[in-house]
Amino acid sequence: MKKLRLLLIPVLTIGFMAFTTNTMNELEIGAVGPMFDYEMMDISGETITLADVKGENGTLLIFSCNTCPYVHAWEDRYLKVAEIAKANGIGMILVNPNEDIRDRGESLQDNIERATMVGYTFPYTIDTDHALADAYGATRTPHVYLMDKDNVLVFRGAIDDNSRSAADVKSHYLEDAIKELVDGKAITTKTSRAIGCTIKRS
Amino acid sequence: MELARYGMRNTFILVLLMSFISCAKPVEEIITPEVVNIKAHEIPELVASFAGEKAVLLNVWATWCIPCVEEFPYIIQVQNEHKDDLQVVFISADFPEEIDRINQFLRDHDVYWQTYLKDDNDEAFIDAVQTEWTGAIPISVFYNKDGSFLTYFERGADYDEFKELAVKAISNNN
Repeated sequence: MKKLRLLLIPVLTIGFMAFTTNTMNELEIGAVGPMFDYEMMDISGETITLADVKGENGTLLIFSCNTCPYVHAWEDRYLKVAEIAKANGIGMILVNPNEDIRDRGESLQDNIERATMVGYTFPYTIDTDHALADAYGATRTPHVYLMDKDNVLVFRGAIDDNSRSAADVKSHYLEDAIKELVDGKAITTKTSRAIGCTIKRS
Repeated sequence: MELARYGMRNTFILVLLMSFISCAKPVEEIITPEVVNIKAHEIPELVASFAGEKAVLLNVWATWCIPCVEEFPYIIQVQNEHKDDLQVVFISADFPEEIDRINQFLRDHDVYWQTYLKDDNDEAFIDAVQTEWTGAIPISVFYNKDGSFLTYFERGADYDEFKELAVKAISNNN
């Protein structure tokens, strides 16, 4: 009986933890970014992969969507970041993982309309069944992952510290990380956090 | 004679109506306090203020957040079922210009206790709510009745899950 009780305690504890805590584990800094050959439908009408997007110095992957106010708040920074990434040999892609609400503003057609309206200058794909978001452990939109030329994750998190006002930003996390990566320096701030919209997993 | 009969009938109806109105239970009016700003450093202080008296469910939400809106009634139901032993602390992560929408949403859901609006930068706010939080909303954080941390999750949940964890936090049985 005592043995059974001892056996039950860890089982129940693990069961309870799985029940209550987060199941998403964000990709660790230093880990190799997975699924570079994963094919996604882009707003261009072509299927593309992270490998297709990758630049000579690395890859910038941003999980994003069309309906999140935090995405809208940061969207002006998307365009600026795209210029910085391009100038530094980093390929940039936006990926929409919101599988559960494809019929509520998150379809490929919605991606196309958003990209046209805002003036996206980079690919914007559908992550079917949020497979890529799961592989990277992304939890929210926007959620940023920067990989080096060997696809090793060097930065993860938020673009900067002020979603609402580019003029009031004090810490340019992503911009600084890109510059340090290209300059061959250690990344000063490897992770950053910001409030974002939960990825709507099916 | 005919006139008198009509008069008596009308008087009878009037008396009946008045007695019905006076016997009916008055409807309790719910007054929803307007949301107030909260700084990051005030969050742990607020949570700690209930230690020893009530378990706490801290929930960060927003009016535009689908899972937040879906789970909102479940949280209110659990709060209503444990008025003496549980305190729900709602903190809205809406942008400040949405304040009218927030207050309307709270009124629509008959929230009768004080709730809050995030008024700090994200990193400080995230750390104050839960250091392991990645920033996705909704997040729910449970504290036991003695003030100790129980658990958290950053996703939506249903009534049964909120109920089970609230009971656990109230009983301090962790």
